[in-house]
Amino acid sequence: MSDPLTILTLTPLGVGLLLLVLPQLLPQNFAETLRKVSRNISFGVSMGLFVFATYLAFENFGGIDWLNINMGEYQLMNDEPVTLISSIGVSWIVGVDALSLPMVWLTALLIPLSMLVEWDAKKGHIFHPLILVMEGALLGVFVALDLFVFYVFWEMTLIPMFFLILVWGGDDRKYASMKFFIYTFTASVVMLIGILIMYFHTGDISGVSGSITGHHFNLIEMNSDMIQSEGLRHLVWILLLIGFATKMPSVPVHTWLPDAHVQAPTAGSMLLAGVMLKMGAYGFLRVAVSLFPESTVVFIPLLVILGMSSLVYGAWVCMGQTNLKRMVAYSSVSHMGLIFLGIATMQPLGIAGALFMMFAHGIISPLLFAVAGAFKHHYHTLEIGSMRGIAHHSPYLAAHMMLGWMASLGLPLLAGFVAEVAILIAFWMSFGWWVLLPALTLIITAVYYLNSMQRTIFESNDRHHGILPESLHGEEPRDITWHENTSMFILGILTVLFGIFPFLFFDMMSDWSTEFIQEILLEAIINQGVKP
Amino acid sequence: MGETKNEYRLLLPLLPFLVIVPYLALQTDSHSTDFAWLIVVAPFIMFPIILIIGQVFNKNETWKNTWKEGGILGLAALSVSLSTTIWIVYDYLIGHADITNSGVDSWLEWISFDVLQSDYTIAQNRILGVGVWIDSLTLMLLFVATFLCFLICWFAIGYMTTDPINEDSNHRFFAEFVLFSLGMFGMVLADNFLWLFIFWEVMGLCSYLLIGFYYWKDSAAAAAKKAFLTTRVGDVFLMIGLLILYDIYGSLDFAVVFDDPSTGIGGVAVESGELFWALMMLFIGAVGKSAQFPLHVWLPDAMEGPTPVSALIHAATMVNAGLYLVARLMPFVDIHHNGVSGLEDFGLIVAWIGGITAFMAASIAFVQNDIKKVLAYSTMSQLAYIFTGLGSALYFLNTGDHHAGYFVLGASLFHLFNHAMAKGMLFMASGSVIHEVHHAHDHLHHGSDHSDHDFDPQDMRNMGGIASKMPVTSTAMMFGSMSIIGIPLIGGFWSKEGIIAETWLAYFHGETMMLGPAILILATAGMTGFYMSRMWFMTFAGQPKSDVVDHIHEATPWIKEPLLILTFITAIGGFALATLGIIDFLSNESHHLSLHGHSLQEQILHELEHAFLPEDNKLRMVGWTTILLSFVIGPIMAARIHGGKLKEGQKANIFVGWLVNLSDKFGTQDVTWLAESQLAEALDKRLYFDDLYEGIIARTVIPFAELSAWFDKNIIDGIIKQIESNSVLGSVQIRKVTTGNARDYILMATVGALCIFALLVGVNN
Repeated sequence: MSDPLTILTLTPLGVGLLLLVLPQLLPQNFAETLRKVSRNISFGVSMGLFVFATYLAFENFGGIDWLNINMGEYQLMNDEPVTLISSIGVSWIVGVDALSLPMVWLTALLIPLSMLVEWDAKKGHIFHPLILVMEGALLGVFVALDLFVFYVFWEMTLIPMFFLILVWGGDDRKYASMKFFIYTFTASVVMLIGILIMYFHTGDISGVSGSITGHHFNLIEMNSDMIQSEGLRHLVWILLLIGFATKMPSVPVHTWLPDAHVQAPTAGSMLLAGVMLKMGAYGFLRVAVSLFPESTVVFIPLLVILGMSSLVYGAWVCMGQTNLKRMVAYSSVSHMGLIFLGIATMQPLGIAGALFMMFAHGIISPLLFAVAGAFKHHYHTLEIGSMRGIAHHSPYLAAHMMLGWMASLGLPLLAGFVAEVAILIAFWMSFGWWVLLPALTLIITAVYYLNSMQRTIFESNDRHHGILPESLHGEEPRDITWHENTSMFILGILTVLFGIFPFLFFDMMSDWSTEFIQEILLEAIINQGVKP
Repeated sequence: MGETKNEYRLLLPLLPFLVIVPYLALQTDSHSTDFAWLIVVAPFIMFPIILIIGQVFNKNETWKNTWKEGGILGLAALSVSLSTTIWIVYDYLIGHADITNSGVDSWLEWISFDVLQSDYTIAQNRILGVGVWIDSLTLMLLFVATFLCFLICWFAIGYMTTDPINEDSNHRFFAEFVLFSLGMFGMVLADNFLWLFIFWEVMGLCSYLLIGFYYWKDSAAAAAKKAFLTTRVGDVFLMIGLLILYDIYGSLDFAVVFDDPSTGIGGVAVESGELFWALMMLFIGAVGKSAQFPLHVWLPDAMEGPTPVSALIHAATMVNAGLYLVARLMPFVDIHHNGVSGLEDFGLIVAWIGGITAFMAASIAFVQNDIKKVLAYSTMSQLAYIFTGLGSALYFLNTGDHHAGYFVLGASLFHLFNHAMAKGMLFMASGSVIHEVHHAHDHLHHGSDHSDHDFDPQDMRNMGGIASKMPVTSTAMMFGSMSIIGIPLIGGFWSKEGIIAETWLAYFHGETMMLGPAILILATAGMTGFYMSRMWFMTFAGQPKSDVVDHIHEATPWIKEPLLILTFITAIGGFALATLGIIDFLSNESHHLSLHGHSLQEQILHELEHAFLPEDNKLRMVGWTTILLSFVIGPIMAARIHGGKLKEGQKANIFVGWLVNLSDKFGTQDVTWLAESQLAEALDKRLYFDDLYEGIIARTVIPFAELSAWFDKNIIDGIIKQIESNSVLGSVQIRKVTTGNARDYILMATVGALCIFALLVGVNN
């Protein structure tokens, strides 16, 4: 137990790969047996990891007093950095703080839930292990403190997702998976250039021995002073921003997301929206803002423009959508815009709000996609308006839809509202009446969500029958299955729980944000003369 | 169904819930306010219980007959809330608790955070939490809310479970009902603006769910959406108001903000300009929630919900929220107690919005034939009265005349009380009428066809002469209407007079801008007299207008009790409370209800003199004009058009019989020409506001949304696609890869990345 994060990261990766590869190597009858249980093994392992992650969070952060622990420092780090590739200075360093801990927990939570939603997926002996591999890659991104390892995990997340879309996706899955891969990969390569420029400006440090290049990827040891030229610092910041903003995604580099989501299987969508988008925001804070506070402060207007256009434009595009999943995908774009706005306020409250948005969106959007997926699964269509009055046939689906939709449009006492109100308060402090734009967008958000509900689950004008979509071909309509229901139920309960008791994570995030401002950003804020 | 059954034994499960509070109260050292959380937590726990049990045991007979599909459970939760409230109110009224010490309990630290101040230092540990705030306003509204929610839930057990259209979905109704109640209770108790807003929005959600209870109906789903979105517009501005207030005071707690509203955080004097905008934003929120012009369009449509919902939303809970919020803003402008001066414009705006809405709603109510729609517009109009009164109060308090200000504040809040009681009853009574008409129609046309869409059980043109068939309901409705009209000595009279008189007083004191609202609400008084009388005469007096009427029986269980209780309160409650000085109590000028050392007789005479013969000659004239318009002219005109004797052989009871007979005495008047005029059509179309809004949305919002979607698909993604097809990799390559050989691509990409890496290594060395 000396190195829990390593265990947490490598277990799913190992087990997942083993489950994928072993059946090829073993004799036929063993392979068959393994294939039959591989779904259960994957689920069991992911549940175990969830329990482990929860235990880590509560046990290591101080028992009862875990809310008050100082989260500015990395926790749970491995004792000694393990040198991986000595020649270029890559080492295995892991740790979590208040920025990554909620993400780690969220990942550990969403993996079993998304497995549960697609419990009966075709080729389950590949599907579920693939999600397990995905878990390892995602956790790796959030715990790695070595930029090389971070980047490797970052790209590694693409592979299982690529296959999830390509094999289990919708009709247009080939195009979508390629677009997803090329688009985000190109952006990542831009980011990699940024990382490499940083790499070549690092000096020698102890602990990484035998490096030929004399440089290292250790994030903890890096700081903005290593690059002398201000112009180069800005350049690196921009390169990183391109990589992270594409992942988030932010307007105008968002168009891969709707295509990927619409074609992806439900579990893929849930993970894509729930965790993968957060990688962008996480990386942005962890690398770009942490290492280049001056550039961040200089580029505040850019952040506001990006955030605002994602938020406002995304909401308007949402309103024009006729495909349920596409609409939900654009709403993710819209909500991710708030994260940039929160960071741009340069207020502890705004940054804490952005962090909470990452988390809240991470439990709400999987619920949305699970609901959308259930429509696809049980009604074989995602076209808004092709059916009416579905609530009569699928009351549980309708109830989950209601809760998810309401949470996403920012209804108080549900998790999304906490983030919104925190960001808006901070936004008013920093930008005054500009707050009208994000605030009025809340109305647009309500409009498209209510419209889509009205035109699917309501309004059949018949007490005893809904208007069923043609795609059902006369099949008897049914409600969601027990495993979908369980999964959505858990997400719904968490949405309410964190809406009423946000302090479970918020106070920790708030402490982190304060320290983040004080230690890293404050100097830049004062130097640039930004008025808080 | 339909036959009177003794169902009181079903109330037995309530007993354990009813003893909770007495048990707590008998404990030594227990303060009622320490248990205020019970008011909110009881419905909160019951909400999922009803919903889940209802879903699981949906068609179970015991669940249906003994538990009334959750109705009994809802009633149990509300009985806990009500008994706790009564305990609290009792403690305050007899002086066990100190009403000047308002922040009594703290529940939850919701979030805590730090703020980077303008001198680059960090202000530590700001908290947004929630606790309990109790003052006279809280006590009054809490009592109104818990009491009415309880009665309406009782009523709903009878109303909902006997209507076949609700079969198997009543658990949803009762679950949403208790959640709605929770929202209102929480909003009233919350000790800061943020949590006021949070509970406010919970109500918004529940109004959406309940108005759209018949979700399969187009009209209901559309009405629900309209209500949610219209109030959402207001809510967003309300939220902006909160942001501004937070920036000014560094807190949203009433305790901090109201301690000294003229001083902001860090001891800075508050500018009236900034505060004005904060208050305006909050007011827009109130306008949306209380359905005032120009955000009034949702309220009439909200009648699509089941009738108990109408009673709940329009009397007990949601629409009062806006009034409550504006009443909460008084300390900001009260220059007698550290308020910020220079805000009298705010008061004028509030008064004008109130005046316009009052007049507009009353005029639309003239032409409504749907019994619930009349009540809906009446609600708008009466709420507008209260807004006008609060506007006058804001004006007086900000110009220094705090005696007039407190008086009209108290009168406005008292009107809120009277209106809530009367309107809650009126809606339930109208529900009773609709229910029985519907039932009689089903009975009469039994077996023919259930989907008979031509007959509208809410249309008063199908009624007439029901007084003899429904003695309790007609009596209740008569007293309710009288209270709303302001018939002397009954209910609303005691508060309405005050509002009208003080609004005129503001004009007499030289504020010419107050003349508009003053004239509008005075005219509305007469109009109220007309349309409320019209409703009553159309429904209960005259000859039956359809064959259904003969088959009506006032027979559904659970429906009469709430009506009887509220009839009693409406009939004498206004007078009694006025005598006990509730107006001074509500405006915090006195701290308890009492006779103030006078004998009962003296006090009654004093109140009567104050009401009918005020010292100021001008006010006396205003008072008598009001009485003349509302008591004499309006009702007589209504009687001439719609009044008349009952059918031969039918007899109404003693309470309403005289009125039926009286309505026949004034002759008849034919107003067909007026009903066919353009004015009537314009009123029937609600003065075209709905059309206007819909037109604007259809011409701007929807095309713009479609344009955005097109732009995203063809321009932004189009550019990407262009790059893709022209890129170095080339379309051939991509097509090759997209044929499915994906492993190649991953390999290629990895190799590419490594090449870049190697390149950079090379360059650097």
